[in-house]
Amino acid sequence: VLNRRCVEAAVMTGLALNCSINKKSLFDRKHYFYADLPAGYQITQQRVPIAVNGTLSYSLYIDNKMSQMVTKTVRIKQIQLEQDSGKSLHDDTRSQTLVDLNRAGVGLMEVVMEPDMCCGEEAAAAVRELQLILQTLGSSQAVMAEGQLRVDANVSVHHPGEPYGVRTEVKNINSIRFLAKAVDYEIERQIEELENGGTILNETRAFDSKLGCTVPMRDKEGKQDYRFMPEPNLPPLILYDTKSLPANINHQQVVNIDWIHERLPDLPSVKRAKLVELYGILPEHSFTLVNEDGLTEFFENVVNQTQMKPKKVIGWILKDLLGYLKQHSLTVKESPVSSVLLADLLNLLENKHLPSLLILIFQVLAELWKGEGKSPLEIVKEKKLELIQDQKELEQICQEVIDGQENE
Amino acid sequence: QVSAALREGGVSPTELCQRCLSLIKSTKFLNAYITVAEETALKQAEESEKRYRSGQPLGVLDGIPVAVKDNFNTAGIETTCASNMLKGYISPYNATVVQKLLDQGAVLLGKTNLDEFAMGSGSTDGVFGPVRNPWSYSRQYKEKSVSKSHSEDEESNWVITGGSSGGSAAAVSSFTCFAALGSDTGGSTRNPAAHCGVVGLKPTYGLISRHGLIPLVNSMDVPGILTRCVDDAAVVLGLLAGHDPKDSTTIQDDFKPFELPNLPDVSKLSIGIPKEYQAPGLSSEILGLWSKAADLFKNAGAKVIEVSLPHTCYSIVCYHVLCTAEVASNMARFDGLEYGHRSDMNKSTESMYAATRREGFNDVVRGRILSGNYFLLKQNYENYFIKAQKVRRLIANDFLKVFRSGIDILLTPTTLSDPVPYTEFIKEDNRTRSAQDDILTQAVNLAGLPAINVPTALSERGLPVGLQFIGRSFQEKQLLTVAKWFEKQVKFPIIQLEEVKSHVQDVFQHRKSASFS
Repeated sequence: VLNRRCVEAAVMTGLALNCSINKKSLFDRKHYFYADLPAGYQITQQRVPIAVNGTLSYSLYIDNKMSQMVTKTVRIKQIQLEQDSGKSLHDDTRSQTLVDLNRAGVGLMEVVMEPDMCCGEEAAAAVRELQLILQTLGSSQAVMAEGQLRVDANVSVHHPGEPYGVRTEVKNINSIRFLAKAVDYEIERQIEELENGGTILNETRAFDSKLGCTVPMRDKEGKQDYRFMPEPNLPPLILYDTKSLPANINHQQVVNIDWIHERLPDLPSVKRAKLVELYGILPEHSFTLVNEDGLTEFFENVVNQTQMKPKKVIGWILKDLLGYLKQHSLTVKESPVSSVLLADLLNLLENKHLPSLLILIFQVLAELWKGEGKSPLEIVKEKKLELIQDQKELEQICQEVIDGQENE
Repeated sequence: QVSAALREGGVSPTELCQRCLSLIKSTKFLNAYITVAEETALKQAEESEKRYRSGQPLGVLDGIPVAVKDNFNTAGIETTCASNMLKGYISPYNATVVQKLLDQGAVLLGKTNLDEFAMGSGSTDGVFGPVRNPWSYSRQYKEKSVSKSHSEDEESNWVITGGSSGGSAAAVSSFTCFAALGSDTGGSTRNPAAHCGVVGLKPTYGLISRHGLIPLVNSMDVPGILTRCVDDAAVVLGLLAGHDPKDSTTIQDDFKPFELPNLPDVSKLSIGIPKEYQAPGLSSEILGLWSKAADLFKNAGAKVIEVSLPHTCYSIVCYHVLCTAEVASNMARFDGLEYGHRSDMNKSTESMYAATRREGFNDVVRGRILSGNYFLLKQNYENYFIKAQKVRRLIANDFLKVFRSGIDILLTPTTLSDPVPYTEFIKEDNRTRSAQDDILTQAVNLAGLPAINVPTALSERGLPVGLQFIGRSFQEKQLLTVAKWFEKQVKFPIIQLEEVKSHVQDVFQHRKSASFS
């Protein structure tokens, strides 16, 4: 029986990716024998998938300095609904395979992109954007590490002007970072192979994250005939729009494309544009804001609680806060400094309670990072930072405070 | 009638159940049942009795003993499909139709025998052995059969039940239950119904849920209903039909159970006689009966017209391609990993699969899987599967055209001859037999139409022969009305079996025929 939510998610994603939604799509059985496929076949949409011909726009920095961004697009070939198989866990020590069937039969949405990307960075940026879109839509939480978003990369190389080369499929990629690495490694490997006079096999390779390279996977038999057959238990999936919706239909039984379209939330690209307009920040800034989970909210909270102009706030957010978080591998949600505290600190700055000696600010920040709940003003007063210019003395005092705290 | 008896207190559900169970034991030689669920049945009967005593029976079917073909899942009761692959498999859930019967208070006596995985037309190819037609032991047959020697008679002359729902048909025919579920993919309910002299109804595809029916051909399977009279079939149909959210191929429309008129009137109907159904091999006896039946209708004022279903001759091959393809797909799930038989071979997953499937399936099943996979290969798909689908459309359209031209019901034979002795039947292999025997029934499955076998008369050898009525999609009411009229006209005799006689007398005391509505 078809899961309604899956259909809705697929339509939403298709609309967000500018696809044509097929009002009639079909289901097929793809047959092969494998321990994690209990029915001996997978239900998928081989003949007519639910959505086709879309585009995905993504941005990336031109160079490493994060100074200028460029926008690229990748074409979306199709989106199809299919079933998940179980999970196989290979226990090589005991020469056995354990099969976990809990996720077998769960609905999957496969997004197929055209080969429009040219390197690991582009692939990573495209997938990141897709991830953000999926999360915004609610179609998926798209966390790669948890298998909610699985990416297989198809890589080939060719000289400019010549036709596309033989492609290999790379699997077992568990993060966006690894995706970039895997793609780049594979490109290198193929170039080297060809320059040495070898050929590229149309094979499936696995990415080994420890070694940072791709290795051939167990032989998945070059040409498998999947014996596709229409799925007899699922009638063709018919979607309606307001024009084609029949009069007496039971609304529980149908999916209306227009209805879904009206309820689409703001996509990341729209959010970014709005931030730029509202706060006068640079597109590069808004890109980072939207890219980091929870950062936009943090930024907006600070802006609302401080007199400091957003254009100045953004600097603190992107350089100091984000820098510190990255250094300590923390997420925005895990930040010991809340938006309230940061806002307070910035207010002190604005109101000139603090000399704008950066070094003093950092001292206060350091205190705040400890997450002891003290407000910046308290810290400043405590340390008598307004008066003390001597760094060493300040450090000493701070150290005393720290030591004192540790004894509590 | 038995339902009335239950209500009036003439007989109690537990008594009824016990008698049926003992009759099952005394007719064990028929091999109609694979599993007899004695304990649970008695419990159900007790529950039913409580309800009757407090004056609150669940409905007409409350306390009525029924049997179910062993390819329907029954919670807690072994479901084998007469195959080694599922020997010992206890289902964790009830098929929707089984649940519906139980919810109405029916008493489930047990699971009936069939051809392995419902593939066959004799109920002879299951791992539990063949089913014997109760009529083999009837006085009517014994009187007519040429006895070579006394001992040879019973053992070598017994006739088949037809298939694949032979166990269910035999169970109903021998009075061990009042209704049984079968399945019909190519005629598997109507064929044994004809051979065993009972009513076999194949409903329109999409009317009754297939959830829990272990699939053979998903696009043609339907649960079939076997009873001793047409009214009973209508009652059971009323309780089973309707949309099931667990089966996406059931129609959404509401189904209204109906009662059949006591004195049906057929004078305003047009009965079609498809000329292509005068198939090669059709016995002259049956041809004669068919013709007599047509006359019956004519004399009652109905219009009887010869019609043509030109693509009938292609239906066997079309059926074969589509059936084997879906079978190959549906049987892929039996790999020994999650349930069912698992071979001891453990060198590799593949070898375990291969050994399990070789050990678990019989020749018939394996043969169909191989053919089906062949037809599904990329290089063959277009030429076989797609072509067969197109031919299927043509066959279905043949029926549509005929119905649109004003014909209400089609009248055809159900089988080519009366039931043959087992020894003769097994001279040809399953595939040949199926190809021969299904010819009159499976075009109906290709088109998804409703059809019913009504027992018509005894052959010269004293064995049952039935005729088939085919109706328009979802027009079961009209179909059953005509069937009921015909049933009243022909007055098919009751089987005269020693074992049954006393049983019937006990249960019904003063009643003559035995039905439960």
